[in-house]
Amino acid sequence: MIRPEEIKMSAEETGKWGMVIDQDICTGCQACVAACAMENNISFVGEVDAGYGRSMHWIRIERFWEGAYPEVKMTPNQPMLCQQCGHATCEPVCPAFATVHSQAEQLNLQVYNRCVGTRYCANNCPYQVRAFNWRDYQRPEPLSNQLNPDVTVRRMGVMEKCTFCIQRIHKAQDKAKSEGREVVDGEFTTACAQACPANAIVFGRVDDPESLVSQVARAHGHGVKHLEELGTLPNVTYFKGG
Amino acid sequence: MTESKVVDLLAVFPDLEPAANAIEYLREIGVHDDCMNVISGIPVTEAMLGRPAQWTNVPRIAMGGALLGFGAGFFLAYITPYVYPYPIQVSTQAFIPGPPTVVVLFELTMLGMLLSTFLGVFLDSFFPNYRPMKYVTEVSNGKIAVLVECPHGEEKKLTEALKKMGAESVQPAEAQHL
Amino acid sequence: MSDKKQHAAQSHEEHLREKHLMLDPLPRGKMNDMVMESMLEKPTWKFWVIFGFLAFVVVYFLFYKWGVLIAKGQGEAGVMRPDYWGIFLVNTVFWIGISHAGTFISAILRVFRAEFRRPFTRAAELMTTFGLVQAGFSIFMHMGRVWLAYWLMPYPNQRLLWPNLHSPLTWDLLAITTYLLSSTMYLFLPLIPDVAMARDRSTGWRKNLYKVLSLGFRGTEGEWTHLRNAMNIFAWAIIPVMFSVHTIVSWDFAAATRPGWSSTIFGPYFIVGALHSGMGAAAVVLAVIRSTMKNMKYFVRGEHFDAIGKLMLIISMSWAYFFFNDYMVQWYGGDKWTQQLLHFHEAGPMGWMWFAMLICNVAIPWAILWNPKWRATPWAITIVGLVINVGMWFERYIIIPISVTINRMPFTWRLYEPGIEVPMGIGTVALFILLYMAASKLIPLIPVWEVQEGQMAHELKKFGRETVVSVSELE
Repeated sequence: MIRPEEIKMSAEETGKWGMVIDQDICTGCQACVAACAMENNISFVGEVDAGYGRSMHWIRIERFWEGAYPEVKMTPNQPMLCQQCGHATCEPVCPAFATVHSQAEQLNLQVYNRCVGTRYCANNCPYQVRAFNWRDYQRPEPLSNQLNPDVTVRRMGVMEKCTFCIQRIHKAQDKAKSEGREVVDGEFTTACAQACPANAIVFGRVDDPESLVSQVARAHGHGVKHLEELGTLPNVTYFKGG
Repeated sequence: MTESKVVDLLAVFPDLEPAANAIEYLREIGVHDDCMNVISGIPVTEAMLGRPAQWTNVPRIAMGGALLGFGAGFFLAYITPYVYPYPIQVSTQAFIPGPPTVVVLFELTMLGMLLSTFLGVFLDSFFPNYRPMKYVTEVSNGKIAVLVECPHGEEKKLTEALKKMGAESVQPAEAQHL
Repeated sequence: MSDKKQHAAQSHEEHLREKHLMLDPLPRGKMNDMVMESMLEKPTWKFWVIFGFLAFVVVYFLFYKWGVLIAKGQGEAGVMRPDYWGIFLVNTVFWIGISHAGTFISAILRVFRAEFRRPFTRAAELMTTFGLVQAGFSIFMHMGRVWLAYWLMPYPNQRLLWPNLHSPLTWDLLAITTYLLSSTMYLFLPLIPDVAMARDRSTGWRKNLYKVLSLGFRGTEGEWTHLRNAMNIFAWAIIPVMFSVHTIVSWDFAAATRPGWSSTIFGPYFIVGALHSGMGAAAVVLAVIRSTMKNMKYFVRGEHFDAIGKLMLIISMSWAYFFFNDYMVQWYGGDKWTQQLLHFHEAGPMGWMWFAMLICNVAIPWAILWNPKWRATPWAITIVGLVINVGMWFERYIIIPISVTINRMPFTWRLYEPGIEVPMGIGTVALFILLYMAASKLIPLIPVWEVQEGQMAHELKKFGRETVVSVSELE
């Protein structure tokens, strides 16, 4: 029997991964959305279900405008993904322990094959970033060849969400371990950050002051955490109006 | 097997009053309270019939069940989180959360108590019991039946006396399939 | 005393006897025969038509559609982002609410010795058990992978993983299981003497059924003592269990981080709401039993509807109090999301439902139930009961799918449009009525021994020139 606070983790196992998103340079091109779907084997729900709010994306570009037509003022695009909260509201409400906190990566894990589909976590997520497999969606023939072997394919009735491309984190950690070194900043990044043509998304170790993500954050000065007032301790920082 | 020395008499009374009088009479002529039993269609209290209070284990069994239920709740709330080899952290909530523990302990205590109360009725009354028993169906029509163990040879005397006390019928009780 | 006065006094007594079942005793044998007759009465063709129709609805709408839902996924229902919870959970809360009336009538009224409860405790307890069956079905319909529902049960398994006790849903599972088991046991215990009565006067397969069910009960002093003690324990202990069940149901919402849900008053608010719909349903069930079953006009009288009507009025007032209390604090808080939500409730596309809820739950009950004559009229109180149930269903609909439309991410706001939930919900109603119809033909609906016990305890007593009803404690 071990208590959580008694766990001792080796250096390569620990780490606080985080992301900064610069809304001012986001063009809203949706490349991150497409890259994420391909990297993480996300189902394509089709026109009808997508039209009814069942589109499955782990990251989405929220677009807002102020005022009434024709005096419309666009506000910066807002990429929204799982904020990997330090104090996540989705975790305690799952009766089956299908979404839990990872000690090693400081992320919210989603255990697909443990999920029974009560959808309480999605209901309790203030960011509404969880995606539910409403049906078994079809993958027309050539598309099945595109599946990423590193990521589980989810079936009907299961909740899923952004993992910060945890398969890439682990791959990089394994490689570094076999070569007897630490993971180098910039050695890998998430699919969304990789695909962003404007480099609006930067991913890395936020507990390392020399990492790119920390440097970007310092350069920008004050960032915003969404719905910080709820005390969810998000790991994603936004910059806007800089 | 020795031959039984007593014969059971079953006297059926139309009402509470004559039944209570008959019981008093029986006691006066030396029939012990343990040798009588009353069968009724409604819960007639012992005090109404002037009978000693009945012993029941139901409240004790219920308390025992409550303790067992509390134990089960304790196991669930305090032991099972440690069973998994790696401690599971959700949010920043305590590993053993305080208030939810109260909920679990409460529900399982109540469940244990109510289940054992139910079981207690079965144990104390020897339910279910489908063997032949001494019974008359008039009882469920509101009649009150008094079951007396009568020493051999005194049936006639007793029958007479009970009839005098207002019994509608007095017969040797025979076990029958209900 | 003059003849006229004497006559007046006599007719007053007659009036009292006519009014109160407890003062109008019949020999036990006669009452037994009446109850047996109402149960054994050969069902009319109408009964079979309704029974067959409901059976079809259950098979097609509940089970066939459920099969479709399991095969094709929750996409068949209207749920989506952000309305992850839809009518299935509305129905779960609704049916648990209905089930609260049974416990209220048979436990709280028993503890407080409210004598009018006697003839209909069983009818109310049946509602509890059958309502909980529907609630259980509804919650399983809601699950995305219902075939794995056993993972929520605490049992030793190969993974060594036990359920998450941090989750309100796990508490729910424990509480509803406790409530379902204990209310079924509490239905069964007072039934034993009545089944024994039925055993003594039936033949054929019924004889065998009642023989098994009555467990060999004769009515000896010991059996009665054990039974009385057990029923006493149940009556006291099931009350906190009932309160805990609906409080925990309310925590499913109140514990969540959502505008409109984070409310500390949800526990008692939900309990009162549950009693509101439950009492309404009890009135409807009683009126139906009275008008369709033989001899029931003797057992169920105006006084019972009057008493239930009074309770309904009080509960309606308490509901209004809790509703306003919740509303006032949310309104005053000034949180921008809550403001949005309140505005959406009243002026949004489903605003009609919000106003209909208030009319059904408060305006109509108050307008009718204040009048003793009206509330003692079975058809009038049936209508009020139905209206209250519609209103309470609306209340749950507003709390669940309408409230989750508004969250802190305006990008995702979307109104819920129900799909397969509607026929499946109708299926649960049909199953409830079907189970009730079957039960009315299989077990004595009136607890005869309780009625007789009550009639023994009641008498008319003269205080000066006034004849009044008095009741003595038998225990």
